[in-house]
Amino acid sequence: MRPGIRPQEHWRSKRFRYMLEVLRCANCGTVNATRRSVCRRCRSTSLVRERLPERARLLAFTEVKSATDVHDEMAPYLVGLLEFEDGTRIVAQLTDADYEELRPGMEMEMVVRKIAQDGESGVIVYGFKFRPVVS
Amino acid sequence: MRTVYLAGVGYTKVSEHWDRSLTELAAEAALAAVRDAGVERVDAIYFANAAAEITSHQMGISAIVSEELGLSGVPSVRVECGEASGMAALFQAHAAVSSGLAEVALVVGAEKLSDLMPEEFNTVFSMTLPYETMGFAGVTPTAIAALLYRVYMERYEVPQEFVAQFPALMHRNAKGVPHAQFPFEVKLEDVLSSPPVAPPLRRLECTAPCDGAAAVVLVSEESVGGARSGTVTKLAGVSLRTDYASPFDREDPLHLSSVALSVEEALLRSGIDRDELDVLELHDSFSIMAPLVLESAGFSPKGRSGLELKEGRFELGGELPINTFGGLKARGHPFGASALYQVAELHLQLTGRAGKNQLDRAKSGMAVSTTGFGALSGAAVLIGGDSA
Amino acid sequence: MSRVKDVAILGYGGYVPRYRIRASEIARVWGRDDDALPIKEKSVNGIDEDVITMAIEACKYALRRAGIDVRRIGAVNVGSESHPYAVKPSGTVVAEALGIPPTHLSADLEFACKAGTEAMQMIAGLVSSGLIEYGIAVGADTAQGRPSDALEFTAAAGAAAFVLGRSNGDEVATIEHVVSYVTDTPDFWRRAHERYPRHASRFTGEPAYFHHTVSAVKALLEETGLKVSDIDYFVFHQPNYKFPYAAAKVLQIPKEKVDPGVVTNVIGNTYAACSPLGLVRVLDHAKPGQRIVLTSFGSGAGSDSFLIVTREGLERKRNLAPLLDTLIARAKYIDYAQYLRHRDKIRTS
Repeated sequence: MRPGIRPQEHWRSKRFRYMLEVLRCANCGTVNATRRSVCRRCRSTSLVRERLPERARLLAFTEVKSATDVHDEMAPYLVGLLEFEDGTRIVAQLTDADYEELRPGMEMEMVVRKIAQDGESGVIVYGFKFRPVVS
Repeated sequence: MRTVYLAGVGYTKVSEHWDRSLTELAAEAALAAVRDAGVERVDAIYFANAAAEITSHQMGISAIVSEELGLSGVPSVRVECGEASGMAALFQAHAAVSSGLAEVALVVGAEKLSDLMPEEFNTVFSMTLPYETMGFAGVTPTAIAALLYRVYMERYEVPQEFVAQFPALMHRNAKGVPHAQFPFEVKLEDVLSSPPVAPPLRRLECTAPCDGAAAVVLVSEESVGGARSGTVTKLAGVSLRTDYASPFDREDPLHLSSVALSVEEALLRSGIDRDELDVLELHDSFSIMAPLVLESAGFSPKGRSGLELKEGRFELGGELPINTFGGLKARGHPFGASALYQVAELHLQLTGRAGKNQLDRAKSGMAVSTTGFGALSGAAVLIGGDSA
Repeated sequence: MSRVKDVAILGYGGYVPRYRIRASEIARVWGRDDDALPIKEKSVNGIDEDVITMAIEACKYALRRAGIDVRRIGAVNVGSESHPYAVKPSGTVVAEALGIPPTHLSADLEFACKAGTEAMQMIAGLVSSGLIEYGIAVGADTAQGRPSDALEFTAAAGAAAFVLGRSNGDEVATIEHVVSYVTDTPDFWRRAHERYPRHASRFTGEPAYFHHTVSAVKALLEETGLKVSDIDYFVFHQPNYKFPYAAAKVLQIPKEKVDPGVVTNVIGNTYAACSPLGLVRVLDHAKPGQRIVLTSFGSGAGSDSFLIVTREGLERKRNLAPLLDTLIARAKYIDYAQYLRHRDKIRTS
């Protein structure tokens, strides 16, 4: 069985994937990346929609050599651990860079790229990746 | 709460069992455990498995397992908690027996990963990570392990070999173990020169797809009399805890709090101290997981487990032997069955049936299992010998 | 003379992927002579890039320069001949990724290399008529060229976006006039379900590119009463390095008025983004108060020709996003085998 990509699931999650839209807890400040009823940290119901900034600092990175069904055609690809100004961390693919060019501490910017496609006929999933800042 | 005993164990070799199905493997281990326990009845079956829907096209598989055991009619429940399914099933079975709901509970874990193509295996393994935020993006367990590895080496200023020597230890222990997937030695140099799968993580720092099944039989104190003397251990405490699924959403990604809390609680429930444990079976799905588990659970100071391994503390003859049959790395990691292999192997150690890997005077031991990188973890304490 | 009523370019953005392949590398594979190559090198999309992702990049830059509230954007038009889906709009993904609310007109356009300027003209009409306050026009392509075909040397990847609205005192430029000139001319085409286009070789030149381009420019100059000497920059569609200069020669336009808007030699023919990227380059270099004539060409065939006048906002806004030359300079060269992978020309199933 090939789980593939569910268009419905991607549609539900698109605001996070396209724009880094999250729910920030008005009580404790924790970022909740997915839709939810209560804050995962303090259980407050005061969750406010917010977009994370498009810049983040690279803390660590690696290169995935072999990947899942729908991601394998793009392998090898880079994956990084990034931290936003407020301390929120995210794990994301990195793009437009070679492994050798990356350094911990680099400033990176969010771009929307193709994340995966379900074969020749299925849907294409777009979402955030990070690349070295172009200025 | 009644005291719960472990009266028998059974397991298959961890391997690529091309000729066996998921439920066949489960039945082989389960029937062996029932034989080993010498029990006449089974009141409840707990079937631990992570991926039957994908590997074996099956939902509602617990009924099929009971049928395969000739135990149709007996309540049978499938427990799915990823790689820690076996520990979660043990937790449930312990609750059933200690509460009096069941006198004899059979816990069997099985996984059939060899039917998957490599990228399908990656797909299944990636399901242990939160899909909506990580899985969708192609973030794999190897990537998370690599990032934790980097953070670990940087924070504690330790070289890679401090982490990479854990797989070498596992292979030393697995050498000649009949049920191990890789019963041979692999040297540190081999680990460090194996191909990178996600730098710094190398091929020989990861587990490999495999099939396997392991089972244990739990009995109440009222029913333990029927079991043969010397083959019984006490399941003194079991605990299960959860945490945020992504380690990087936690305050400290290197601290697996679900491991820390479940270990603490299992010890408390067992009434023994950490120092009294004679053997530890821990979850080493990746090399880096071994130090993270040891240090989160308080067995080693932070950043020091590699040094302690170098000094011999975790060897079979050391102060706290770990993964005495090779652990997930070398005995093998058939997800849903892994924790039950751990518990069964502890039982072998505590009942003097560990063969060439037998430890001297092992009276109590602990198994620590987790899924993903500490999303859900569990710990179980077994006490053997006179204390059982 | 102002046939377009009160339409301004508030922000502009160009995007060129990081990857390049040298024409000589393509020539090496197919055994062609190095000395007759149509361009030096061309841009190639990253393995995770397509028209939608490149459009988003160009739009983000354009929005940075425009500095407007995206919630007031009333239309998103994406012109391309390589939309990732045959059926399912590119524009809706672009709009959602930019945070543009659902209450906007979305249209994907296709007219070979002319689809980008079409988008501009249509958005200009919507703004001018007062139907919308702001709109975004995008030209983007990951152009296809059949392996070994002459087009393979030039078919490239890029995007350009323009945020249009009424003059707000801070605009980059104003669009003063536009004419279109189209006929049924089968010089180049791609049938449904076909992977690569076909063309009629030299027929794409005189009766197609030159006839439409020159006719459109002549019409624009005639309608506005302007002479070549009144114009500071001419930007042409540039399927290769020769054609824009050949068109300029016919129109008696001096080379130096064409040079700043020619980027094809280093990034190739980016189809719907091609002449719009030429405009982006000119905007990166022009001074306020200069006149630009932008003329596209799309096979099939036709040209849109715009009279654009740069305004005071240009110099304030130029550096709010990377210049086109910066994007062009971050070139990473790939060989033909990698190029095949990037262009999805390797069958893996």
